[in-house]
Amino acid sequence: MAGQSGMVDPAIFEDLQARVDEDTAVRDELKDIIQALEKHNRTISFVLSRAHSTPVANLSSVLISAQDSIQNAVETVAKLSQSASKLPYYKFNSMWSRQVQDAIFGILFWGWLGGYKPTGSTPKCGRLLTVEELGEILKVPVNLKDRDEFHLTIEEYLQALISLVEELSRLARNSVTLGDYERPLLINQFVKDVLAGFQILNLKNDSLRRRSDGLKYKVKDVEDVVYDLSLRDLLPKKVEE
Amino acid sequence: MTDAKADPPSSPYLAMFERFRAELDEHHDRRERIIKASRDITAASKKIIFTLQRVRNLGEPVPQFVVKSNTQYWGAIQKQYQAISVDLQGLNRHRYRQITGGNQEFMEALSFQHYLETQTLISYDAAKARIAAMSGEGGAVELTPEDYVLGIFDMVGELMRFSITSMATNGKLPAGRPNKDKRLKQEPPEEQAGDKMDIDEQTAISAEAPEPRNVLNDLRELRLRLEMFEPPQEGKFQDDVEQKMKVMRQCVDKVEKALYSLTVRGKERPKGWLPAASEDKRAAVESY
Repeated sequence: MAGQSGMVDPAIFEDLQARVDEDTAVRDELKDIIQALEKHNRTISFVLSRAHSTPVANLSSVLISAQDSIQNAVETVAKLSQSASKLPYYKFNSMWSRQVQDAIFGILFWGWLGGYKPTGSTPKCGRLLTVEELGEILKVPVNLKDRDEFHLTIEEYLQALISLVEELSRLARNSVTLGDYERPLLINQFVKDVLAGFQILNLKNDSLRRRSDGLKYKVKDVEDVVYDLSLRDLLPKKVEE
Repeated sequence: MTDAKADPPSSPYLAMFERFRAELDEHHDRRERIIKASRDITAASKKIIFTLQRVRNLGEPVPQFVVKSNTQYWGAIQKQYQAISVDLQGLNRHRYRQITGGNQEFMEALSFQHYLETQTLISYDAAKARIAAMSGEGGAVELTPEDYVLGIFDMVGELMRFSITSMATNGKLPAGRPNKDKRLKQEPPEEQAGDKMDIDEQTAISAEAPEPRNVLNDLRELRLRLEMFEPPQEGKFQDDVEQKMKVMRQCVDKVEKALYSLTVRGKERPKGWLPAASEDKRAAVESY
């Protein structure tokens, strides 16, 4: 308490100011990385949006060019992970959570379209990458509990999965436009399986709950497409086992 | 695993979602425990503050009736901190911001009592250590600088009420003891002796030593420090500070106005007259 003549020891507020300023500096540093990630996410979605107008047969060129932008995102996430791991995760994670969700979504969509080639297996369309696989692709830990470092959370994965369903309901319609009557069936089964998963979760009143409430409408959109096709007898015969 | 829920014809992702469900349930349980504890800490802190408002003297341990009445509430707060400290460790230290309400109200109670007893502002480190001590073996519950600052802002409101009540009942602003530092350290304060010393020294000392600080001096200093404090340029904390800054200024203003009316008109009034209460009414009428 040296130097204190009045009520307040000046050191108290000097110390607080220093702490607050340090947080601001940390945030500024993270902001640059997060902005870069946002840019890469936009590129990924720009490249992948061509899937809506590209027949499955020609999709591989789209997937390959997406891979480059995904690589950029992976490198940026590595930077983010490095900086953020020095900090308490939940103190700052709201800064980047949306961008990480978008990156996960991009990779999920790419993987669903058949871009992911794990060693020892052939790529296939309609594949859902698990949160562990995403951790491998992004080279970051997943659902950490025992240590306070950067990682992907289950919530981020689920949010991205909702985005994937939304994107696929759009792809179902666009597939028909491209003359592809098979893919809507694949999408139909997939979004139903995902919805069944969401239905067993006990979600509280948060953004995950609100967005997952909309899933059933997306599933219905896809069902309508399948219905339209079946009504006109356009469904590929072999699928109706 | 997938067969456990029979109704949807086994989605291949069900096992994965069951794992997620377990995780999310755990998370929601933790969150609810913390929300509840935060509410209970807030309620107990309010009761502590309420009793502290019955204190009349500055710079000495709070009277026995206050200690007696508040012991149960300090105990209740400690119990709550202990109950949730495990939930707020490691990775989860900053995860549940729901504790912030309880922490702020606790800061208000803690800093108010600390002020009444020592006439100084409790430091961030001391407050943090206090919560850590109350958290018990589960590990310390974190007190953020933000919660500390916001709690101090609220404490200004308590100092305002404390001043106004004192002016209304005793006809003067509460002030510290003259030469408090020298005297208090030598001999622990005794109710009677302390009061006499007060009067004796006030006349004797006024020539050489400065007047003891009163609550308004302290409020002004605190106001200055809080106004100098620069919050981050964005975010919820900045909004909170901005809003509380306004209230804090009004509180100091109120004490200044009350003291003004006490100075200007106080002498014309019989003892026991309540200047603060009547001023408030008057202001309300004038504003119509």
